[in-house]
Amino acid sequence: MIYDFIIQNREILKIFYGLMVVLICLVIVLRTDRLFRISLHQGIRYFRNAFFFFSLAFLIRYIMGSNVLVPIIHNNYFFIVKVAFEFFLIMAGFFLLYSLLWKKIEVSGESYPSSLFNPVILIFYLFTFSVIFLDLIWNTYSFMFVSQIILFSFASAISFVNYENNSRRHKFLKFYFIAMIFSLIAWVLNALAALLFNWNPLFAINISIINLIIFLIFLLGVINVTKYRG
Amino acid sequence: MAKKRERLEVIKDILVSIKNTRQIKPTRLLYSSNLSPQMFKEYINELITKGFIKLDIDKDEKKSFSLTKKGYDFLQEYRVIESFVDNFGL
Repeated sequence: MIYDFIIQNREILKIFYGLMVVLICLVIVLRTDRLFRISLHQGIRYFRNAFFFFSLAFLIRYIMGSNVLVPIIHNNYFFIVKVAFEFFLIMAGFFLLYSLLWKKIEVSGESYPSSLFNPVILIFYLFTFSVIFLDLIWNTYSFMFVSQIILFSFASAISFVNYENNSRRHKFLKFYFIAMIFSLIAWVLNALAALLFNWNPLFAINISIINLIIFLIFLLGVINVTKYRG
Repeated sequence: MAKKRERLEVIKDILVSIKNTRQIKPTRLLYSSNLSPQMFKEYINELITKGFIKLDIDKDEKKSFSLTKKGYDFLQEYRVIESFVDNFGL
């Protein structure tokens, strides 16, 4: 019954869903940007970038790419929306993964001055544009799905190691690991929905719910950890 | 064996040493930081670059370090920053 309601009001609910994710991401970005400006900690910086890119991806896909809000127009518009959505979503995943890895790659005390243009991030850009290019040639999202499944498998493994090593002292590591597993599940479901089930609406609804849970986990974690001052 | 100090903790310790004395000479800061001279130099360069501390040179050419507003802000929020970094595995 609730699924029927969702399917009937699908386009409007997609906008609300997009707005919710964008708002959640922006709260995370604002909170972490403040911490970054005080600490100049590179991990916080890449984490903030990840959620900024997630917010742009969802804004583009669900607001700017909405058939209701933008009842236009030229096919080129939706082509640009598709490319921009893929770009920001894949880069957001890379930023999130790199926020867990940067300490092993960047030389201590000699961090890159820019978090958007440095040798490592340029490799991510290159990889992202390659994925987008391949998806465009075959008119699919498959390459994005595969890249994100691999990426979140790594992120899940790293967050599991962090959880195993420090979960007693730092409680959110458990929820971070859960969020990464949910992300991996969401990407696998996305791939199945696209490749085997022809974007079955029930699949899409469940994936959206999982995504919302993931962003809420991060929001609650950020609010909880940053709430006490001084 | 004592656990190796995390980077953020080292920065905090250096800033606290400077804060406690308002101005501190490089040699005294080196002793209180418990770092090797090489590591000390790296941290100090980083802290100056980030604008957390500044190097003051008086008319007798004597050098000392003092905290900037950014440095004070960092110390005030240190626990939140440390907790965030640890809880998110950054």
